[in-house]
Amino acid sequence: MIGLSHYLVLSGVLFSIAVAGIFLNRKNVIVLLMCIELMLLAVNTNFIAFSAFLHDLSGQVFVFFILTVAAAEAAIGLAILVVLFRNRASINVEDMGDMKG
Amino acid sequence: MSVESVLFYLFGTILVASALGVITARNPVHGVLLLVLAFFTAAVLWLLLQAEFLAIVLVLVYVGAVMVLFLFVVMMLDVNVARIREGYAKYLPLGIVIALVMAAQIVIVVGAQAFGLEFFPRPEALPADHSNTRALGLLLYTHYVYPFELAAVILLVAIVAAITLTLRHREGTRTQDVSRQVRVKRADRVRLVKMDSDKGEQP
Amino acid sequence: MTDTAFTIPAFMLALPEIWLLTAACAVLLADLFIPDARRALTLWLSVAVILVTAGLVVIGFPDASTTTFEGMFIHDPMSAVLKVGMLVIAAFALLCSRAYLADRGLLKGEYFTLALFSVLGMMVMISAGSFLTVYLGLELLSLSLYAMVALDRDSPIAAEAAMKYFVLGAIASGLLLYGMSLLYGVTGSLDLATVSAAVADGQIARAPLMLALAFVVVGLTFKLGAVPFHMWVPDVYHGAPTSVTLFIGSAPKIAAFALLMRMLVDGLESLHADWQQLLIILSVLSLAIGNIVAIAQTNIKRMLAYSTISHVGFLLLGVLAGTAAGYSASMFYALVYALMAAGGFAMVLLLSRQGFEGDRLDDFRGLNERSPWFAFVMLILMASMAGLPPTVGFFAKVEVLAAVVDVELVWLAVVAVAFSIVGAYYYLRVIKLMYFDQAEDTHALAVGPEFKVALSANGLAVLGLGLFPGLLLGLCAAVFL
Repeated sequence: MIGLSHYLVLSGVLFSIAVAGIFLNRKNVIVLLMCIELMLLAVNTNFIAFSAFLHDLSGQVFVFFILTVAAAEAAIGLAILVVLFRNRASINVEDMGDMKG
Repeated sequence: MSVESVLFYLFGTILVASALGVITARNPVHGVLLLVLAFFTAAVLWLLLQAEFLAIVLVLVYVGAVMVLFLFVVMMLDVNVARIREGYAKYLPLGIVIALVMAAQIVIVVGAQAFGLEFFPRPEALPADHSNTRALGLLLYTHYVYPFELAAVILLVAIVAAITLTLRHREGTRTQDVSRQVRVKRADRVRLVKMDSDKGEQP
Repeated sequence: MTDTAFTIPAFMLALPEIWLLTAACAVLLADLFIPDARRALTLWLSVAVILVTAGLVVIGFPDASTTTFEGMFIHDPMSAVLKVGMLVIAAFALLCSRAYLADRGLLKGEYFTLALFSVLGMMVMISAGSFLTVYLGLELLSLSLYAMVALDRDSPIAAEAAMKYFVLGAIASGLLLYGMSLLYGVTGSLDLATVSAAVADGQIARAPLMLALAFVVVGLTFKLGAVPFHMWVPDVYHGAPTSVTLFIGSAPKIAAFALLMRMLVDGLESLHADWQQLLIILSVLSLAIGNIVAIAQTNIKRMLAYSTISHVGFLLLGVLAGTAAGYSASMFYALVYALMAAGGFAMVLLLSRQGFEGDRLDDFRGLNERSPWFAFVMLILMASMAGLPPTVGFFAKVEVLAAVVDVELVWLAVVAVAFSIVGAYYYLRVIKLMYFDQAEDTHALAVGPEFKVALSANGLAVLGLGLFPGLLLGLCAAVFL
């Protein structure tokens, strides 16, 4: 039987993969943004699993709002990325060394 | 194994594999497509948890809009794949160690000892005529009206921000400005030149 | 489940927020009809909107704590005081930005719209009674700020700063949300009061609670900019246009204090012993790194950024004491710090002009010759940040230290004092530059009259509150009775 812990372990693994991705792709902003999306997917799965097993819809309502905010966040993140690209024709974080200290 | 177990393990495996693919993909376009796959499989798992509305929203809104936006941007920005892979190998051991430690901690804590079936029994299947959408809608427009309005403001901020940051009025583009065409007056386009008939230029 | 009882919430309690949202949308529309030459009108409208909001908060000042919108909105004296402080400082930040923005072609309506929405986000955060409103308020604030940092589209360092801010902010939100999801799972509720009661009940296994707490604290630390998650602060403060730095570096600190109070005190007070340990580590590290690295800076925006980190360390001291005196001391500190930081960044705006940022420490050389009055204002601000009497910064530090000593963490108070003395060095260096060095740059200061009035008022407030600290201190103490 599949219990709550199965879903929680799955989303925990997903979350860890996302964190590993953030470490591995420190240079690539696009992949960083995708890792953040994965992170939110793990959080959402957590909320939905709890919501189902607690017989409480508020977890699903929270997921609804996380999805909305994540969409807005992606739009702004990609807009900033476009501004950055227009300015330096590179999304390599390594090239970002103008500010040190 | 029950049907549910088969579905869970099948889609759970695909989900983890595609997530690993996202963080290791050489080509960002492949990364985005693998992320789409991850969202699809997650939607199936959400269906198993009887969250039908959110599963559909994840596919329609998230995959349909947000991921397509990602694809647009990835393809618009000509990413130099070789350069962004630099340093990947350097961080690989650290990344793997951190992920494993974190996963181990989470798995130990949320494993069956605290969240097993004896503590959280399986939810009973909702009746066939139960509408998840209706239930969520009722909550959203009553109890959660305040956050609902806030979510609308956040979307408005996203619109304002995205337009401000990326819209450029470039000179020399041949776009049609309908409002200017409509507002135009006779005086803007026609100039009457007075000429004396007898002193006019002769051919 | 489907037909739960629903009563119409008490909308009047949220009147300031409702007014602010309506007026922000009206400003967004009105801006379309304002010609470019008269764009400053949008600024004045926005300042007026914020001040009216502050007036509405004062009129509706609560005697006791009430909630509305199913407990998602808390209307209590703490939130009212914090909101008024935050609104006044946000209005100050906008008021000071006209000349700077106009010189750089940034005087656009969107700047003020985004600022108004971020102010709304802060108000929501300050009044949040549920994980849901904490999260939405935080995101409304953050998303507006990310865009404001990137608003100078032709500046590579602004775009870089915005990207760093965005990525780290989004990761922090992810961590915070993961912690919230676990708390929801073990307590079965998103409501802070219910979560608090369930945790205090002691029925919940410790391991999941500790894991959730770790994620929540790390997420909060990122947002506050405390060491070891402070990397973004100097880069964002440095890269953003100075008027945006002024905005980010001041009012949101008050909201960040509210965030800390809502999550840790309202939600998880019974875990105080556990989060106290974490906050002690964060606080000592922030005091140490912030004060020491600030000495090495040559750019005043970066110097003030590291100084922010050290002040966040001080702010955490009061909260970790876990007593009413500690909370009120921290609240006083947050309000005072926001006021001082607003003044400090406004001084950088004072030195800037068209094509010149004025953000190097060397630009402060000989300021006394150029403007004795504003050199004096900067003297007050720096003395206050260093914690010297008779400025208000002194009382803020004393209150926090007293609260820490009261809970028998004397060693922590000693560490804090030691690092404050280290910190005093770089504040006093600025004073030395202004009074004892030759001016390199003899341009007249190019700012408007409203700027001069606002900055003078800020300096006088820092001095006045230092001479008569009783009023604000009493207010902060009364909130936690």
